[in-house]
Amino acid sequence: MSSANFTHEDFDRLAAEHVIGLLDEPEQTLAERLIETDPNFAARVAGWRTRLSEFDETAPRYEPDAGLWTKIESNLGRRLPLPAPLRDSRWSRLWENLGFWRPVGLATGFAALLLATGLGFAVREAQRKPALVAVMLDDSGRPAGLVNVRADGRAELVALTDVSAPDGRTLQIWTLWDRARGPVSLGTLATARNMTLSLDSLPRTTPDQLFEITLEPAGGSPTGRPTGPVLMKGTASTAL
Amino acid sequence: MTRVFSDLRPAGMSLDDAMRLVARGERAGLRAIYDLEAPAMIGVAMRILRRRDLAEEAVHDCIVQVWRKAASFDSARGQARAWLYTVLRNRALNILRGERSGSSAGEETLLTLESEGETPEACVARLSDAKALRRCLERLEPARRSMIVLAYAQGLTHGELAGKLGLPLGTVKSTIRRSLSALKECMA
Repeated sequence: MSSANFTHEDFDRLAAEHVIGLLDEPEQTLAERLIETDPNFAARVAGWRTRLSEFDETAPRYEPDAGLWTKIESNLGRRLPLPAPLRDSRWSRLWENLGFWRPVGLATGFAALLLATGLGFAVREAQRKPALVAVMLDDSGRPAGLVNVRADGRAELVALTDVSAPDGRTLQIWTLWDRARGPVSLGTLATARNMTLSLDSLPRTTPDQLFEITLEPAGGSPTGRPTGPVLMKGTASTAL
Repeated sequence: MTRVFSDLRPAGMSLDDAMRLVARGERAGLRAIYDLEAPAMIGVAMRILRRRDLAEEAVHDCIVQVWRKAASFDSARGQARAWLYTVLRNRALNILRGERSGSSAGEETLLTLESEGETPEACVARLSDAKALRRCLERLEPARRSMIVLAYAQGLTHGELAGKLGLPLGTVKSTIRRSLSALKECMA
């Protein structure tokens, strides 16, 4: 499904029918993709939500069953906690500690293997085989994001979990290939999401090059170095 | 006595405030969303599912999803209500369509409806006559108005609308498109 020949009217019809819930596959998939990638389309969708939301506001109200909240609460389960600022100093020390990275590298290599078999869709979808893959793990060792570096040097971030910066802070992605130079910022983002990374001004990515995302004050680290807790990190491995 | 966090419910909290708390992982925010919105959410889901147990299931799934996904909610853009009801309607439509298509017995036996559902005209009559949605819907011919209301509020598909109204599928599709375009122009 492609929107290449779509007129403004077609986009608007797609946005409206998406909001109403009238789309079949593959248009539903197309609409979901456009919401992520096309701010203009996302704005059309928001416009239709606003136009039609009064229907929701006037629905008859029903008192929930007394057990409903208890049932919800018992199903909330575990979720990725946002790290407390208290952990900053510990993470800063870990960053300097070479021994800490060795098992991370091993775990990353194993996770990369799992991802190559299990999550290969991310790569297939792009129809572009990466030359290097860095799987970034959160502090409980779960894959949280990955960086694909393609043979032509272009790179992309693929988010594997929902991580967002709270108010007044931002996520910042860094890479480290030279311990003498230290980590270099690749940019800030509000939410971990799929995006292209600009590595153009940097030397070619090498195996074992480190990528990580830290939580920083709004606008990015004031020092040009990571100051906040590490949310996820991993080293690049050569893709088979 | 241990006082659990979810017992602390700040009074007069707005939905946007509550969503910001949830984004920070605070259950008090989720409880506030529930207290503020659960009755209306059940109402929205009842229109689509017309069965109380399924409507509560949709609300349950929606609130759990909000808890898990709130970190991805962009509080800077606000719109907590729009996001909440988008998640809810998607869940209700999935329950509706999943239950229907997953059954060889057909929708009537599986989805034993508890209520006939509002007529489209009753649904329009609930809208404020001071607002553009009602004024602009009332400018459409009754049959066109019904299609929009049945599709949005009750979750009917193009095919179901065609069956219910005794019209060819292509006619339903093109009529809805023209009606949406007229609605947008009128509400601009």
